[in-house]
Amino acid sequence: MSAEIEIHHLSSTRPQEESLTLGQWFRNIWSGLSTAFKGMMITGKYIYSVKPVTIEYPEVREQLPANSRSRLFNDAENCISCYQCATACPVDCIYITATRRDKDAEKIKTKDGTPIRLDLHQYTIDTALCCYCGLCTTVCPTECLTHTTDYEFAQYSLGGFKYDYLAPDIREWRNRLVED
Amino acid sequence: MFEFVNEKSEPLKSELMTVNMGPQHPATHGVLRVEIQTDSEVVARATPHIGYLHRCMEKHCENLDYRGVIPFADRLDYLAAMSMEWNYVLAVEKMLKTEVPERAEYVRVIIGELQRIASHLMFFGTYAIDLGAFTPFLYAFQDRENILRIFEEVSGARLLYNYIWVGGVWNDLTDDHLVRIENFLETFEESIKKYHKLVGENKIFISRTANVGVLSKEQVYDYGLTGPVLRGSGIDWDLRKNRPYSIYEKFDFDVIKGEGLKGKTGDCWDRYYVRMMEMHESIKIIRQALAGIEAGPVMGKVPKIIKPAKGEVYMRTECPRGELGIHLVSDGTKVPYRLKVKSSCFTHVSALAEMAPGMLIADLVAAIGSIDIVLGEVDR
Repeated sequence: MSAEIEIHHLSSTRPQEESLTLGQWFRNIWSGLSTAFKGMMITGKYIYSVKPVTIEYPEVREQLPANSRSRLFNDAENCISCYQCATACPVDCIYITATRRDKDAEKIKTKDGTPIRLDLHQYTIDTALCCYCGLCTTVCPTECLTHTTDYEFAQYSLGGFKYDYLAPDIREWRNRLVED
Repeated sequence: MFEFVNEKSEPLKSELMTVNMGPQHPATHGVLRVEIQTDSEVVARATPHIGYLHRCMEKHCENLDYRGVIPFADRLDYLAAMSMEWNYVLAVEKMLKTEVPERAEYVRVIIGELQRIASHLMFFGTYAIDLGAFTPFLYAFQDRENILRIFEEVSGARLLYNYIWVGGVWNDLTDDHLVRIENFLETFEESIKKYHKLVGENKIFISRTANVGVLSKEQVYDYGLTGPVLRGSGIDWDLRKNRPYSIYEKFDFDVIKGEGLKGKTGDCWDRYYVRMMEMHESIKIIRQALAGIEAGPVMGKVPKIIKPAKGEVYMRTECPRGELGIHLVSDGTKVPYRLKVKSSCFTHVSALAEMAPGMLIADLVAAIGSIDIVLGEVDR
């Protein structure tokens, strides 16, 4: 066989301990054992003296801080349809439709006395798009749009994340949350 | 007799084998693909391929008002979101020439340094996992949890805060928070020493990291590396010290640099060491800030609609992973004309190709871990 065989042979640049003397060999073993023992001393303390920090989630639920930013809630009765939240939203996930209120209709006001001049027909937030940045809640003039501390709202379909805040059942969800 | 090799055909030869490490490899810290050409265990060439996490952040910001960009700045380096938004906000403030209240500056420094500790703890934990130790990861997360809890109570979120605003900060730190931070630092200072003894002085860890992935001073300068990687190679450069922004000139702290204690200067162990010791310096800074903080407002006067004058600014800060630069161009409207992010992690990835030749594959994992990249910042 005259075929010329070309072989790549790379050697590692990792430094090899070339001149391993017997003394060095013993020193390596000693340092390996002693540092491992020191580590075991540290980890060993955790068996008895340190309390577990893990929360067994479905059974034990952590109470989130009061200003925690989870699912949004809009109190539609106090909303004046000013569109400021929709403008501030960086991902455009708030959909509002409102029309001008009739002049001879009954005059209504929000809780803090701001007159409502527009009739709100649609107030929907796509929670799947929402990035929970909180910019919409800070611009709200009547403070009707707030973050709640509810973080358990998994859905079976993507469409389920569109929450209509004029729907009658949404208030029930809010009341349940406050009771908890 | 059979003739296995035809003399007229090409001669027998061995080839380098191409292996893809990633994009979903657990040791690549995100969606990074490293194309490795290997000769058995030895790496001949490594080419990092990026772009799996590209979200068009820079282009998207051209359609957002100046306040709306802050949540997107958070998502650059999601493990150090406070530092990212701080840098962006400083750029906007430089453009608007806004005065920031004294207390807000102190709060920013406290929060920013806590974020640095949280980020370095994340490095410590994941680096140990890369090298095969699982326990340190849990210890790191236990301490990080305390910091995140404070962040959650102050800002309302655990990871992507939107806390540092143009002109100040969103909420004020209460006295209760300040006491808790002080108490946390006391226990944490002991913990770091313990962690360093557990991992950094362990014989196996030293064997895995010392003399591996050595970056010389010249290489570091050539590639434009910053942050702990730069200081790990023995260069005394920290923007907080050399080009102080915010109120960093008031604080007394040391710049940690690699000294080659366990091997050559600039190896993986040195980069690990710099990060661990930097946490001690952060503790020092936070203690001084806690002593100096005084009551006052945390939000300065900022117009309701931010419309900077025509012009451009470049702002750079020392983030946990290196130097982040934000180049902001305004054309006088309420949206940025151009936002360019100079990412430190991006340059760090490029140094991987320089380090890799001649390494063992297992050492490549140690090298990727030691430069501590976050792919959110690399791809943007």
